[in-house]
Amino acid sequence: MSDAILQLDSVTKTFGGLHAVDNVTFDVQQGEIVGLIGPNGAGKTTIFNVVSGYFPPTRGRVLFKDEDVSNLPPYKLAKLGIGRTFQVVKPFPGLSVLENVVIAAFCRHPRRADAEKHAWSILEFTGLADRADASAASLPLAGRKRLEVSKAMALEPSLLLLDEVVAGLNPTEAELTIKLILKLRDSGISILIVEHIMRVIMNISDRVAVLNFGKQIALGTPAEVAKDPEVIKAYLGEEAT
Amino acid sequence: MKNKKTLIFCAIMAVLLIIPLFTSDPFVLRIVTECFMWVGMAITWDVMAGYTGYLNFGHASFFGIGAYVTAILMMKYGWSFAATLPAAGLAAGLAAVIAGLPTLRLRGAYFAIATWALQLAIMQVALVLNITGGPDGMRLPPFLHPEFFYYLMLMVVAATFLLLWFLLERAPFGLKVKAMREDESGAMALGLNPTLIKTEAFVLSAVPAGVFGGIYAYWITFIDPASVLADIITDQAMVMAVFGGLGTLIGPVIGAVLVYAFKTYFWAYLSDYQVLYLIILGAMIALTVVFLPNGLWGTLTGYTGGKKSLKKGVGLDDASVDDTVEKKGAEHV
Repeated sequence: MSDAILQLDSVTKTFGGLHAVDNVTFDVQQGEIVGLIGPNGAGKTTIFNVVSGYFPPTRGRVLFKDEDVSNLPPYKLAKLGIGRTFQVVKPFPGLSVLENVVIAAFCRHPRRADAEKHAWSILEFTGLADRADASAASLPLAGRKRLEVSKAMALEPSLLLLDEVVAGLNPTEAELTIKLILKLRDSGISILIVEHIMRVIMNISDRVAVLNFGKQIALGTPAEVAKDPEVIKAYLGEEAT
Repeated sequence: MKNKKTLIFCAIMAVLLIIPLFTSDPFVLRIVTECFMWVGMAITWDVMAGYTGYLNFGHASFFGIGAYVTAILMMKYGWSFAATLPAAGLAAGLAAVIAGLPTLRLRGAYFAIATWALQLAIMQVALVLNITGGPDGMRLPPFLHPEFFYYLMLMVVAATFLLLWFLLERAPFGLKVKAMREDESGAMALGLNPTLIKTEAFVLSAVPAGVFGGIYAYWITFIDPASVLADIITDQAMVMAVFGGLGTLIGPVIGAVLVYAFKTYFWAYLSDYQVLYLIILGAMIALTVVFLPNGLWGTLTGYTGGKKSLKKGVGLDDASVDDTVEKKGAEHV
């Protein structure tokens, strides 16, 4: 298991009596794309918030590169190499697209000139360079989602958590974003991705973890998971008898 | 563009530097010196309000701490005036760290209330302590050289302006601070430690205010809690910055000059109606917030950071709040 960049070890997160995430254990290997799926309210975003340090886990441990990072705050995890996007995108609306990415680039490049250079190269990569001087608030949804990915990339993470970066995009934009994700994987970044669009998750993931009501009900390759009776039950309900 | 700004800055400085050569009228020098001080108070207040998005209703705390530190060190410990100024700044900075660590965790209006309470608390402390002279205040040895204070205030305010301009508009620190204003929780995911950055900004806003207070004490030669720790000091800096335009450095400068000019005119020529001044000040801030939420400078240049700062400052920065307000507006139409 030494090749695992991220390990969740029986992670539980409760809010009062509600088990938002209940005893979830899976890992992300170096250079792998792992999909995290499940019906609404299954606990996918909660897992993201636990892994990225927004919520400490109630029980269990999160290991990043074999180190226990369960109780570190988000900004320390960002420095260690965990980048994330938000399902509800969080641009800095009053700042330009470039400034948005520069702020993230400061994480590895404390000098402003270096940070700007790095930010430009990211914007070229994600295709936002021609909007660099526009205000982030002026971007359409697809642009905001790409900005979200650009900011996470500017941290030069070794693990990237992508929360619904494809949902809500039209087919052409979705295709572009999927290509971008594969390009990121090819550049050596491991990816944990939450997505509602099955076509996307099944095509790009090496493995898929399935959650339902906070519990992990399946883990395996997309083909295995798609045939799993528990998963079918979670998505389609039980057969009428 | 950059050269043009430098040129304007140098031209203004040149004019200000030669004013005392043409007039030695103490009244004029006094008015202009005090105007510099208010420019300084307004831009330092804007560091928290406009750039960081936290409305500090206790800015006078730092001014007063600086004034008292200078007075106490000079009168009780025999320090020279020059040596007390760094101490005044340091004391104000220290107060900002101590006050900031708990209060900067509060959001929106709660921070405003906490800083206001802090100012009242410090005022009460100054009223009961022996070393501050209680309600009788403190007298400092008169040093009657208006030109000296004119140049000192000008230099300190200009240096503060340049420092803030460099840190907030050029250095990485400025973007990090603006990220706090725009979205603190999103900024955390990008490796920024909000508590640290906000505390740094608070200190940056407090230290110059402490130095201004120190200069003020020696210049006016008499301080008491009602003159250096009063709400009116905070409120006036606030009106100046909001009226001029938050989130920029030039806005509060313009606001400070205009509001101060109005105030001086009012006190000099309409002193029978002094009570009206506070009413006008209050009406002015209300009208500015409603009709010029981006301030004078923001309205002229189309910069909208001011409105954002105000909204965050009173706890309305949440996007969902924005949406509801707009939707409700739409329904009424």
